[in-house]
Amino acid sequence: MRILLVEDDRDLGPAIARALREENFAVDLATDGIDAAHLGETERFDAAVLDLGLPGRDGISVLKAWRDAHRDLPVLILTARDGWSDKVAGFKAGADDFLVKPFRVEELVMRLRALMRRAAGHAQALVACGPLSFDSQTGVFELDGLPLKLTAFEWRVLSQLMLHRNAVIERLDLLERVYEGDADVDSNSLEVIVGRLRKKIGATLIETVRGRGYRLVCPA
Amino acid sequence: MIRWAPRSLQARMLLVSAVATLLALVLAGAVMAGLLGRFVTEGLDRRLDAQLLVLASVVDDEGRVDRARLTQRVAAFGSDPGWQWRIVGPDGAIGAADVPTPPAGPPTPPAPPAPPAPPGPHPVEAKAVDGGALHARTITLATRRGDVTLTAAAPRAVIARPIEGALAPLLMALAGVAALLTAALLVQLRVALRPLRRLREQVAAIRNGARERVDDDQPAELAPLATELNALTTDNAAALATARASAANLAHALKTPVAALAIDLRDQPRLAATVARIDRTIRHHLARARAAAVNRRVATPLAPAVADIAAVVERLHDGPPLTIVREIADDLGVAVDAQDLDELLGNLLDNAARHAASRIGVTARRDGRSVTLTIADDGPGIPAAARAQVLQKGTRLDERGDGHGFGLPIVAELAALYGGGITLAENAPHGLSVTLTLPAA
Repeated sequence: MRILLVEDDRDLGPAIARALREENFAVDLATDGIDAAHLGETERFDAAVLDLGLPGRDGISVLKAWRDAHRDLPVLILTARDGWSDKVAGFKAGADDFLVKPFRVEELVMRLRALMRRAAGHAQALVACGPLSFDSQTGVFELDGLPLKLTAFEWRVLSQLMLHRNAVIERLDLLERVYEGDADVDSNSLEVIVGRLRKKIGATLIETVRGRGYRLVCPA
Repeated sequence: MIRWAPRSLQARMLLVSAVATLLALVLAGAVMAGLLGRFVTEGLDRRLDAQLLVLASVVDDEGRVDRARLTQRVAAFGSDPGWQWRIVGPDGAIGAADVPTPPAGPPTPPAPPAPPAPPGPHPVEAKAVDGGALHARTITLATRRGDVTLTAAAPRAVIARPIEGALAPLLMALAGVAALLTAALLVQLRVALRPLRRLREQVAAIRNGARERVDDDQPAELAPLATELNALTTDNAAALATARASAANLAHALKTPVAALAIDLRDQPRLAATVARIDRTIRHHLARARAAAVNRRVATPLAPAVADIAAVVERLHDGPPLTIVREIADDLGVAVDAQDLDELLGNLLDNAARHAASRIGVTARRDGRSVTLTIADDGPGIPAAARAQVLQKGTRLDERGDGHGFGLPIVAELAALYGGGITLAENAPHGLSVTLTLPAA
């Protein structure tokens, strides 16, 4: 899962990014409104964390630009502006959630997970697929009731497949949501990750759809 | 210091104008009386000069007086008391008293005119023997035996009487003119001061939020004042906006580093608690700074504001599904700044949403000059004994949530700044009912 973090503060931005990466998310950090608008319009993210007071372009205008470009990713506004008028303006511009600084990182992570789960169409936190279960609210995978240890890359791929179980996820789509924007992507690395996942959860759950991508096949 | 000028502009103008009118009328009266006196005097002079001509016709070249003709001619002069004549020549003096009827007394001879007398008749002031003032004309004829001085006189009262007679109607007419001028002035003042009254009403409307500026279309004398007033309100609004903006900037400037600190210190509970305290302090003082910049000169529609905030509260609410039922007339407005109204409604609805079981009711109605808004939830409510305590700063009965602990005290403080207030009551059968009173727009 890849998150677009828009924060101009030189201390806070990297601190949030670190905290989110600890939770296995891929994070792209934009430090001004112009970059943010561009990234959000051209690349694929599972969610965005958006500051409002930004250099270059105001957060509300960035959000409107995304929505005008039909980018429907869940957006959480993270701002120091704690007025109710700001909240009204944020939601009217198309935000999905609003968090006021300072905040607890756990709260931010919890809300982001809830946003992404709901965006994938799951009302419940727990998503199951055969022997595999995923608590989308804590990010924990279990296989046959036992915690499953995964690397960040493996977690990103598997959570993406899990939230869209039974559907084909395009290769490119998966790549974009696993790697951060500035990462060196080896075209074979996805196959390597999927191979390692198959070793951990069994070869049959992840199906390769030739020429397209991958699918998590859940036994009925 | 003694105030001589009245406080009222109208009274000042009336006073000045009354004094001027009075002076003008007195002057007019004096001039008219003077003119009248001159006309009367000229008429009298002509009559006396005619008498002098008659007297001259009875004096021959030798300076002798033809007494027979004198008696005959003088009879035409009439016998009004005080009318006198006199001929002084080489043969002595003959006066009105010498011929037929004895007059009240002969005029005292005029002081011998030392300088050569002018050729025509000229006026002389004289006194009758009984002390009454006389108006006299005299002429000196040169004869072979010496100068003959002819004098004709009439009582001064002859001049005064017609003036006195004319003065009464004249004064009446002048008083009438004065009354008319005063009435005209009153009308004029009313008409002239009307734009001033209208301007005052507009300024009052700005203060209670019904307008944002006064009309620019003003009489020439008031136009600069209107311009200044509008500039003042614009400056005021700008200062208010600046105050708010700097409060917001301060929030951003402080909260972002505090947020960074909070992330770095999240594994150290004692330091994290200190950061949380810093955050609370910042929030508290920001709320105060915002509240200090109260703007009452606005009219904010209530229903859309409640709808917006209700939508936000519903979205931010996590927990059992929540229904916010709104019953607010569309034409209801409050004289509260839009942002402040959002704060009031946001804090109240957020508080209600935290405690409600499933439903929040929002109703509003107008009560004379204020609007009463009631937000009722179906939660557990607050015991009567604890209600006053909830409204106090820093108190928080509910420790849940993300630090919006002083919602109700902020609402109470902000509402009080607008001259309103909040009261807490029981919502039947259970729950809390908060009533917010705000000035109507």
